[in-house]
Amino acid sequence: MTVDTRILTVEDDERIRTVVKMALEDDGWTVLEASSGEEAIGLFTIHQPDVVLIDIMLPGIDGFELCRTIRRTSDVPVVMVTARDDTHDIVAGLEAGADDYLTKPFENKELSARIRALLRRVRPSGTPHARVVFGDLEIIPDEGKVLCSGTEVHLTKTEFRLLCEMAENPGKVFSREALLDKVWGYDYFGDGRLVDVHVRRLRTKIETDPAHPRHVVTVRGLGYRLQS
Amino acid sequence: MTATVEPVIVDDDRVDDDTLGLRGIFDRRRRRPWGLRRRILATFLIGATMLAVLLAGTTYGLASSNVVQQREEAAIEATRRNARTVQTALRGPAPTAQPAVDALVSFGVQRALIWYRDSWTAGTGRYQADALPQPLVDRVIDDAVPAHIVTEVDGETNIAVGWPLANDDPDLAVLSESFNDMVSALQERIERDARFASDVSHELRSPLTTLAGSIELIQARRDDLPDRAREAVDLLSSDVARFRTLVEDLLEISRFDAGAVTLHTDELLLTQFVSHAVSVSSMPDTPVIIGDRADNVLIVADRRRLARVIANLIDNARLHGGGAAEVRVEIPAAGRQVAHIRVEDHGPGVPHHERRLVFERFARGGGAGRRAGNDGSGLGLALVAEHVRLHGGRVWVADRADRTDGAAFIVELPAEDISADLDGEDPA
Repeated sequence: MTVDTRILTVEDDERIRTVVKMALEDDGWTVLEASSGEEAIGLFTIHQPDVVLIDIMLPGIDGFELCRTIRRTSDVPVVMVTARDDTHDIVAGLEAGADDYLTKPFENKELSARIRALLRRVRPSGTPHARVVFGDLEIIPDEGKVLCSGTEVHLTKTEFRLLCEMAENPGKVFSREALLDKVWGYDYFGDGRLVDVHVRRLRTKIETDPAHPRHVVTVRGLGYRLQS
Repeated sequence: MTATVEPVIVDDDRVDDDTLGLRGIFDRRRRRPWGLRRRILATFLIGATMLAVLLAGTTYGLASSNVVQQREEAAIEATRRNARTVQTALRGPAPTAQPAVDALVSFGVQRALIWYRDSWTAGTGRYQADALPQPLVDRVIDDAVPAHIVTEVDGETNIAVGWPLANDDPDLAVLSESFNDMVSALQERIERDARFASDVSHELRSPLTTLAGSIELIQARRDDLPDRAREAVDLLSSDVARFRTLVEDLLEISRFDAGAVTLHTDELLLTQFVSHAVSVSSMPDTPVIIGDRADNVLIVADRRRLARVIANLIDNARLHGGGAAEVRVEIPAAGRQVAHIRVEDHGPGVPHHERRLVFERFARGGGAGRRAGNDGSGLGLALVAEHVRLHGGRVWVADRADRTDGAAFIVELPAEDISADLDGEDPA
């Protein structure tokens, strides 16, 4: 990673913030710290970090709201950090626009691995096709663009990467594990909800009728498939 | 209209002559008045006709209102009897409207609707709640009085009768009230416990994050440390890891106790899932043996929790079962919709009298199984049992299938064979 990769960490517990800062600096990244959502929004606008870590339980603006605020103007990769492995929090975080999540206590190397995977995602993985067309859906991987019936659709990096991975093998069924591995870089037992929530978000953006998807289709028991 | 139009249609030539002729006939008749006999006869005829019409009308009116009334009474009586049946059917231990409707259908009741616990249950699919006139619904449900109304159903006129079921049994009323109170108190308690578990979880996890993160930072600089400090850090680090497992397991089991665990299920291909779960366990090289018919079997499971079940069973085999293990995925009998995941080890086995005890909390293997460097939390198998129970399955210990030394932990889960649905699909 380049030296000036900046990571904004939003955490109200000063001790955790310090440990995270030290660990991330060990990996050669520059760390910006914020102890509240309000402070984070200020820092975010000034420094435009490459990755944002958000603790859900924050005084004032909570993590979900902060994430939604950031998502309104930016597709920067966001990792939610939660102290409760309450599914509701996790899904709500992903719905708010987070790309990934971590449950406390996490290992430093786990955190670094998540961030590295997110940074990789910014650039698509050497897609051979310049342009892929699925009916009214058109993907231009090199330009990072997706057109739906000729209109450009705005996708986050993760949604775009997810679409590109499936577009490389049209009609092939991708299991949740395969997608977790390819898109999120999980080398351990990942969480299928990550895939499910992102597919849901993707569908609302590229499908005419998200309830009856034509492009990103669920294959019972196996996973997802992209078709025209 | 017709009277004024008709003469115009008549042919022009004949109009003048005939009109003249007709006028002539009329003139002649007017000049000769009717005789007395004729007038009496005419008056009598008119009077008789009117009387007959009046009598017929009255008879018809009386007869029809009588028939309608009888039909209404019959319908109300039938509904009253049906209501009694429904009330009996709703007195079960866990009452729902469906059995009551089924009972009515078995009596030959074609159209029945039951309003129970704020929703409608219909007997036959053809007759739905929206077919009921609102005034009837208002009377019966809001005012709780019997009522009937004549309405069109499927194009024919019918009488719709509504019968409110009063809680006629005072004991039952008190009982159900106190039962409701108890349920809501229990619900409150569960929510409070869940909140407590969640708060405790947060309070424990935060310092643990700092602790684990700091030790990892020191471990990264391990080579710079003097020997004694290095030894101390190693000790600290392994105990923090153990503490972390213990905290996680305790939090998990307290969530079960608080009733705050909900499953987030997916449909999973059993063999694919088990292989994956084994590959991320503490012994990723453990062989997975797939039995006959087990290939295209689907389970509905919370993948995180079920992966945890498999991981814990493999940990158990590693710690108490002599290290090596194998995992078998089997369908015990065709037609029975269950699948078995067997984790078999080559340890000393579990004696019969301990086979239930091993699933209890902090019940580490007695005597021989217990060792000093044990890094389990003592909750692993208890969590396995809780997770499996929540999946609608069961878990038990048996001898190995090949009767050699060792134990087999068998997880039985509901499963579905989807071979037929999968033709032509190519799993990634």
